[in-house]
Amino acid sequence: MRYLILIISLFVSTISSAQNTSIGANEKLTFSASYNMSGLLTELAEVTMETSEVKTSTSTLLRLKCTAATYSKWDSFFKIRDLYESYVSPKSLRPYLYKRDINEGGYEKFMQYKFKRKTNTVESIKRKKRSDGSTWEEKKKIKISSTTKDLVSTIYNIRNLDIHKATPGDSEVFKVVFDNEEFSLNVKYLNKETINTNLGRKECYKLAISINNSTVLKGNNDNLLWLTADANKIPVYAKFKIPVGSGELKIKSATGLKN
Amino acid sequence: MKKLVIILGFISAVLAVVLAVTPLFKIAFIPGVAALILGVVAIYFSKEKQGSKKTIQLIFLLTIIALALTTYKSVFDTVEVGNTEELIEKENESQEDAIEELEGLEIDESDFE
Repeated sequence: MRYLILIISLFVSTISSAQNTSIGANEKLTFSASYNMSGLLTELAEVTMETSEVKTSTSTLLRLKCTAATYSKWDSFFKIRDLYESYVSPKSLRPYLYKRDINEGGYEKFMQYKFKRKTNTVESIKRKKRSDGSTWEEKKKIKISSTTKDLVSTIYNIRNLDIHKATPGDSEVFKVVFDNEEFSLNVKYLNKETINTNLGRKECYKLAISINNSTVLKGNNDNLLWLTADANKIPVYAKFKIPVGSGELKIKSATGLKN
Repeated sequence: MKKLVIILGFISAVLAVVLAVTPLFKIAFIPGVAALILGVVAIYFSKEKQGSKKTIQLIFLLTIIALALTTYKSVFDTVEVGNTEELIEKENESQEDAIEELEGLEIDESDFE
């Protein structure tokens, strides 16, 4: 049994990486999110992923910021203004603070996780707006494993994997805490593919993403992510399938890259 | 049968026009094409039986308007993000709050060496 666990852990760690080699401190990636309506793709929102340095009195952290804003033609129907942030170590990309402030068609929610590394716990604050305009707050302490990350830093950690060392079929499991629950996210390296993007024709690593025991992402190989097969591993294209349909994310621009 | 085809064709044509003026204009192609087919079928039926063709003409007119508008919008549609001032303000406030929160957190030295 011990050997089995050892073999599994060795297999799982084949494409893992500890040091940040891909993410720069002033990077900005812009995407266009489309939703598939009866077979016709409609551009819905602009998604940005930005990084910047944040200084505290004792250390310098990397701020990973993701925003989503619907295009103006949709604003009167369903306005989305989402903000996801993660404050991580610039070296290891381990998160210390995660914030999620969303406003989706009038539905407002705020989540904050403070990662306590010594005790392997997360102090969470959840704030929601009631229909009468008042807000309510819930504080919780959640037990997590030592490798658990938030959603935003997980995306950046996927980019930081040593995929060039991996062979098709290799996979990595990430523990992610979302909505006060911990779940496992599986990333499987499928193969290399050359695709046309707004940044030009790029050779990419094709990854399949799935979540265990969850209905958020449907199917096994239906959620795909293409990362450029270079040192920056820019996510240039993503396809996803959720309970209410399917869609895709295409890159529009990328600036401030590390390599 | 002729009546049913005309009614369905008319509904499809109206639906195509309504969808063509909303941001969901791309979907207007579906009822638009359906209305065209139903219009052609209606002409076929009306050739067998003599009667007024005014409604069928109206179906075609509405469909052509809807399809022309949808095609025009598909070609010349430019997407841009609306007002994000609130979001930018929220981002700045959030960063200030985060720095305060981070001051009180135990940072693992091994992560920064």
